[in-house]
Amino acid sequence: MSRPAHLLEHDHEDLPRKQRRERARAERKALEQAAATGVARRTRMTQLGIVLAVVVVGIVVVLLASGESATIKRIAPETAAARNVTHGIGKLLAGIPQSGTALGQPTAPVTLQYYGDLECPVCRAFTIGALPSIIQKDVRGGELRVEYHSLQTATREPEVFNSQQLAALAAGKQDKMWNFIETFYHEQGEEDSGYVTESYIQGIARQVHGLNIAQWTSDRGEDALANQVQRDAQAASNAGLEGTPAFLLGRSGGTLRRFQPSSYTEPGSFEAAIDKLAKA
Amino acid sequence: MSARTLRITLTVFTLAGLGIASYLTYVHYAGIKPVCTAGGSCEKVQTSVYSELAGVPVALLGLLIYMAVFGLLLGPENESTRFAMMALTLVGFAFSAYLTYRELFSIHAICEWCASSAAILTLMAPLSVWRFLRGAPSRPVIGPGQRSVESRGQSVVLSNNL
Repeated sequence: MSRPAHLLEHDHEDLPRKQRRERARAERKALEQAAATGVARRTRMTQLGIVLAVVVVGIVVVLLASGESATIKRIAPETAAARNVTHGIGKLLAGIPQSGTALGQPTAPVTLQYYGDLECPVCRAFTIGALPSIIQKDVRGGELRVEYHSLQTATREPEVFNSQQLAALAAGKQDKMWNFIETFYHEQGEEDSGYVTESYIQGIARQVHGLNIAQWTSDRGEDALANQVQRDAQAASNAGLEGTPAFLLGRSGGTLRRFQPSSYTEPGSFEAAIDKLAKA
Repeated sequence: MSARTLRITLTVFTLAGLGIASYLTYVHYAGIKPVCTAGGSCEKVQTSVYSELAGVPVALLGLLIYMAVFGLLLGPENESTRFAMMALTLVGFAFSAYLTYRELFSIHAICEWCASSAAILTLMAPLSVWRFLRGAPSRPVIGPGQRSVESRGQSVVLSNNL
């Protein structure tokens, strides 16, 4: 039996309404999704912003922290700190024979050649780190003789490098080179700040106890010393040394071989190698 | 770029970075000289005061970051892992930038290994950020033994053992 006419009409109206409802629902859903995507995007941007902010702060902290440890507090001469330094160096080297670039007994069976740049911070780390123990034990004990040689690395200008090294060698003519270089290393300034001026070099020399300044000034111009600097550069090149500090170690008068320590601040690897050579 | 291509690209970069960081960490602890075509530059950088942060070798820190990123790439991809990768690669990139600054302006020597790692992170960071901002892929990432079907306007991933 067919439906009454008025109910048939309702069926026709329902269909488009159903479709309208479905379409409205679909549109609402699309709008919700778009809103959700927009919210998600904004949330992610915020999260990205927070991460970036944290990273930037982190890097600033690292910069400041490493800057401080790397920034060496310049010890000015004629200050109490400088007097402490000089006193300490005096005690370290007291009674140990020096001759030119060498520190230690001429009869010592083992020789260590220490190639450094006076402005090099790692050389400074070694000089105030492992070296004092090595001097106290092996040099004082008569087993070891250390020779200081130069290799330009940290110093930017060749003229400055020459000037500071000649100043050190001139002190060596009065057998006080090691006092000079120890003082220099202890009182290094910030790398690359141009702190090594004539005035600075004079300041170091004045702290070397017993150094005849007039003699030292004259010796700085000696050709023989300038040649020494050249020879060091050549020897370093021949030995394939590129960075500082660099070490050549061996029996005195024999072949010296490249020595790579496992630490610049702990003397252990040096001691082991030196003892082995001394007993050889 | 599809989500899958992006993942593969990032994985390739991460493997390269892992290799470099592993080598540099090994070199640091073995106390040997790194292979270097630029003369003693690498050694100068590797033994500088900036090669350690609070006593931890910088190479090791890089290795840890690369390992974490690799772990994230191996696992399932979701909002959290995308966020974590973005954060890690940004940290890695920023740290590499800082170290490069130190190489150029404090040490005055470039280590080619460090430069390569920095380049890798410079590429990975923006890719990870983009991947994070994009959100969930419209086509889901299909793993092995899976296939995708459309169901009610959504992509559904089915596994073979279903």
